[in-house]
Amino acid sequence: MIDGYKRLMNLEEPPPPKKAKGFFTDTSLCIGCKACEVACKQWNQLPADGFAITGNSYDNTGHLGATTWRHVQFIEQAKANGDRQEERWLMMSDVCKHCANAACLEACPTGALVRTEFDTVYVQQDICNGCGFCVPACPFGVIDRVPKESTFEVGTAHKCTLCYDRLKDDMTPACAKSCPTASIQFGDVEELRLRARQRLGELRERGESKARLYGMPEGKEATEVGPLHAFFLLLDKPEAYNLPEVPRLPRKTMAERYGWSAAVGIGFAMMAALVFRGGRR
Amino acid sequence: MTEGYYDYPVVRRPVWTWEVPAYFWLGGMAAGAFLTASLAQTVGSADDRRVAADGFYVAALAIVPCAPLLIADLGRPQRFHHMLRIFKPMSPMNLGAWTLTGFTPLAFARAASHAADTGLLRGPFRALAKLAPRRLLELSGSLLGLVLAGYSGVLLGATNVPLWAKSKLLGGVFMASALSSGSAAVTLQAARRGAPDATLHRLSTVESVASLTEMAILTGYLMQSGKAARPLTTGRFAAPFWLGAVGVGALLPLLVHRFSGRDQGAMRSLTTVAAVCTMAGSLVLRWSIFEAGKVSSEDQAASFELSSD
Repeated sequence: MIDGYKRLMNLEEPPPPKKAKGFFTDTSLCIGCKACEVACKQWNQLPADGFAITGNSYDNTGHLGATTWRHVQFIEQAKANGDRQEERWLMMSDVCKHCANAACLEACPTGALVRTEFDTVYVQQDICNGCGFCVPACPFGVIDRVPKESTFEVGTAHKCTLCYDRLKDDMTPACAKSCPTASIQFGDVEELRLRARQRLGELRERGESKARLYGMPEGKEATEVGPLHAFFLLLDKPEAYNLPEVPRLPRKTMAERYGWSAAVGIGFAMMAALVFRGGRR
Repeated sequence: MTEGYYDYPVVRRPVWTWEVPAYFWLGGMAAGAFLTASLAQTVGSADDRRVAADGFYVAALAIVPCAPLLIADLGRPQRFHHMLRIFKPMSPMNLGAWTLTGFTPLAFARAASHAADTGLLRGPFRALAKLAPRRLLELSGSLLGLVLAGYSGVLLGATNVPLWAKSKLLGGVFMASALSSGSAAVTLQAARRGAPDATLHRLSTVESVASLTEMAILTGYLMQSGKAARPLTTGRFAAPFWLGAVGVGALLPLLVHRFSGRDQGAMRSLTTVAAVCTMAGSLVLRWSIFEAGKVSSEDQAASFELSSD
């Protein structure tokens, strides 16, 4: 009977799980060439976002969005160091973090957002009805909905797919493939974590005392959203890269929120019943 | 003070438009009216039962535009039924879609049964509507109504928008606002239909209970939100929020009910005014919190604060 139901509903067995894939983005190697942005746009056939100039360094992309799945930040830091001004540029290629506990996936009411066999988070474009709930749910501001008057996949939610189509064919995602400095490294998450720890050790030895990893299982940032399958080596505090110190997972506070709703509703019902009862004698 | 990346927002701006607060308002009012009417049927006097039953009409009427509003807000409205392809109560959006789907026929059925009582329905439809199991409809409708009125603030809270998420009380605020507007709609209809003074007085009291609860939990919400509440309490939305939602929507009706006294004619028209104010204030409350949330989503410092403690 279950088989009949599956045939009727056109249900497929999900593909067998594979090793978790992800990105290790080492910002200490990024030179801000934006090859990743271009390669991503080309492979995924994403339209241009216009020709606006932000006036903020060389970053005219601004932020991740429905049609921008890689975004290179140019962080210009100037700090007084003795009697001379020391300046530095931090560059970072931002991307969907493919969280272990993904807020967007949990928010999705249609089941359009799924976890793939590669342990990545993916939007099924034929299921998404554009309800928009994933957009403010994401603590990193990654996923967005295409406007209703666009020419590209009107009205549905989009974000990095970790090049799901390329992974299916054992290929490296377009951004990692195009990165000329190995700032974006693709591979098995387990192996990338080993590589990241080793790299952090090297940098610390060279005196980069503020270097740190963001998105590792032991990190403070993993307390709610879990380890990130696209994680980063940063050279400053997460906030410098607009990354939250502890990204919030809405599910964690949901029971308490419903509790207050219920308390008000039940409290009112009891008081109102008393008032009506008073009119009965 | 933490330095972020320029002044760029940390989270994305919500893409929802006016349909969402309008739906929250109408859905909440339908649920509040249904609950008030059901409570009166269960424990009220004969007069209360007769008068408050009009609340079932209010619920049935208010629920009609809800689904169209929700569908209009989707990026792909023609795929609205995808909401119901799975049952996933962990997502407040999915829970809300199922609750609306369940509550709507219950509200219609109970309204039809009331219409059969008052003679509005005739012929075979009247006989059919008479068969409806009222107590069961009232009980199940009230329970689903409580979910319908209570989930909307939780849905907004289950995001990373500081104004919506910082305090855990927004669900309670919206619930109280739904109950005050729903009971006000019943009071308004009772005043229009010339209900007995005692019944009208009790309905106003129920409305005041809801408004007082709303003010109490709103105070808690604003205090917990702290700096994150600034887009609501100062700036563009300060006037609609303080004057509209708080002043006209709650304090004024509370004062009217408290001091309208026993002068029958004046009491009746004042009660009508107070009820209309409560209903309108409830809409302004949802709208201002909703719109101020969009401003709040662009507040980098508030986002960092939300993620730091």
